Amino acid sequence: MALVHKLLRGTYILRKFSKPASALYPFLGIRFAEYSSSLQKPLASPGKASSQREGDLQGDHQKEVALDITSPEEKPDVSFDKAIRDEAMYHFRHLKDEIVEGRPLHDVLLEQAKVVWQFRGKEDLDKWTVTSDKTIGGRSEVFLKMGKNNQSALLYGTLSCEAPQDGESTRSGYCAMISRIPRSAFERKMSYDWSQFNTLYLRVHGDGRPWMVNIKEDIDFFQRRNQMYSYFMFTRGGPYWQEVKIPFSKFFFSNRGRIRDVQHELPLDKISSIGFTLADKVDGPFFLEIDFIGVFTDPAHTEEFAYENSPELNPRLVK
Amino acid sequence: MSWVQATLLARGLCRAWGGSCGAALTGTSISQLPCQLPRGLHCSAAAYSSEQSLVPSPPEPRQRPTKALVPFEDLFGQAPSGERDKASFLQAVQKFGEHSVRKRGHVDFIYLALRKMREYGVERDLAVYNQLLNIFPKEVFRPRSIIQRIFVHYPRQQECGIAVLEQMENHGVMPNKETEFLLIEIFGRKSYPMLKLVRLKLWFPRFMNINPFPVPRDLPQDPVELAMFGLRHMEPDLSARVTIYQVPLPKDSTGAADPPQPHIVGKSVGMGAATSLTWPRPCQVPAGPRLGSLGLCAKSLAGHRACMSPHQESRVPISRLPWPATVQPGLGGVRRASWQNTEDPGVEEGPVFAMCMAGAHDQATLAKWIQGLQETNPTLAQIPLQTSSAGLEEPPLPEDHQEEDDNLQRQQQGQS
Repeated sequence: MALVHKLLRGTYILRKFSKPASALYPFLGIRFAEYSSSLQKPLASPGKASSQREGDLQGDHQKEVALDITSPEEKPDVSFDKAIRDEAMYHFRHLKDEIVEGRPLHDVLLEQAKVVWQFRGKEDLDKWTVTSDKTIGGRSEVFLKMGKNNQSALLYGTLSCEAPQDGESTRSGYCAMISRIPRSAFERKMSYDWSQFNTLYLRVHGDGRPWMVNIKEDIDFFQRRNQMYSYFMFTRGGPYWQEVKIPFSKFFFSNRGRIRDVQHELPLDKISSIGFTLADKVDGPFFLEIDFIGVFTDPAHTEEFAYENSPELNPRLVK
Repeated sequence: MSWVQATLLARGLCRAWGGSCGAALTGTSISQLPCQLPRGLHCSAAAYSSEQSLVPSPPEPRQRPTKALVPFEDLFGQAPSGERDKASFLQAVQKFGEHSVRKRGHVDFIYLALRKMREYGVERDLAVYNQLLNIFPKEVFRPRSIIQRIFVHYPRQQECGIAVLEQMENHGVMPNKETEFLLIEIFGRKSYPMLKLVRLKLWFPRFMNINPFPVPRDLPQDPVELAMFGLRHMEPDLSARVTIYQVPLPKDSTGAADPPQPHIVGKSVGMGAATSLTWPRPCQVPAGPRLGSLGLCAKSLAGHRACMSPHQESRVPISRLPWPATVQPGLGGVRRASWQNTEDPGVEEGPVFAMCMAGAHDQATLAKWIQGLQETNPTLAQIPLQTSSAGLEEPPLPEDHQEEDDNLQRQQQGQS
């Protein structure tokens, strides 16, 4: 029993260091219970966890992990003060990097294309999360892993339209891959500014299924959390890669999956996340390989917004 | 006496307010009253049953014969020949009209008909939807005063009308003038079903033709035609040739001695130009079982595909092989245990020169296809071929294509 306890304490230390999202928990206090309730979770892979840290910190807790696993009898060094101090140091260092580092102004102003997400290693997958209708009781499955040669991400799984037997759901069948919201030092929410670009650029290899590309705006209002801007991405299947270019003017506005009557263009200066949804009502396996996701400026594209507001639906807007 | 009056009043109140208030207001003193009181005009069945559930009264003797669980279910089972098509569906709808002149229970019937549409194969038929909307009584649900217009007039009926339109939307059926006329006649111009109709008319044309790789709704059933369609669909190069190397034997002629002959449909892209080059490296023939799920038709397009691509050092990835996918057992193939098995680290990307879809997934089929390729491109015989054995079945006995099979087996042993 004592050994299990030690193991758990060892895990605790690992979690404490390996989870950057929990950095502010000691300060918040309220979330502290959740923080310590993650003790029972299995060990996160130490390589993945520590690869995000740099400097002397990494060496330290790498050593600690090894120590815990090999000889649990040895008393690990548990200190709340040290943990808090280290986390604070980590965040202050990031803050300093944010302030000091930068790019020359002409670089930023004259930028024509930018790769926002690319898949070249395991740490790129940590920026993404996948979900399927298992969360509502469905049977779809979706997985995300690195493709061959570590050159792309492979999103694969099985779609199943069988509705969950909960008495109220009548339809089901979706799989999605959503990017995480970028965080800066002290876990502040960040957003992307794409206001100088006008086209989304994806290099994908699909199996012929249509996907929906959803872009979420960075918003602070709880009531608007289900609003997003969407358009479709059609893959052609076969062995060929394809380069999909979607102008931002094509994205339509929806709330809780329903297209709104009042349409407006996507605000490009505060982009929070991007997602891909598959829900084409066809049961069976699917896959989508993504090489990179970028944005670029297409000077030939001058359309501002593709959808006019209907005078029949909202007569007050159109006069 | 006044106590009895009060309880009676309370009872009437709870009926008027429906089930939720009824559960709160009904006390034990009320429950001792006999249940044979006349039901109020607006008393719904739900309220009545909720009162009943509170009162543990003995079950009443049934006067009527047992009915189906869903009302009007029997109308759909009355087709004389038992067949389910559009005619029998419309017959059931018509029978409902004859069944009761006052259209009693038409909302239940429309919901049931919406659920039955897929069984009868009429879920994409606009005329049937118009017939369903025609069941609604006309002019009754139109608001007549400003008060009725402010509050939702006949909400359950409007919800039912929206459900019909929603099902049309899900199956991609565009409403026409008749639908609009019916809705105006039934619910009026300012109603929720009309709003839904306007939205449908606004958004359907915008998304109707945005797919750059369109797939027809009804795909060919013949596997050879399906494979030809799939190859044409995947190939961006319009000058590529589609060749049918082998057609499956008809089923009756397949004896015990003949092995079943799978179909092979191949497509070669610019093989002439490619073979005139001198290839410094062996050409790779990775094979992978592949479910070519083309948008709408994942269930029907199954088969094995193999691609040829020269081994290149260039970083320009054009094809990525083999495909980690599964093949459906229906058209003759293997079902992969997992996705990870098809991983083949040795294959890099290069231009694709040919691909094929075959009904079977084994070495003999692959050898047959390569032999067919060599007939048009004799240079191919000099090029060493590498195959990846990741997706292939156990090879049958090599009989005629001796050298290719030996080559394949050697490669397979080398890789496994």
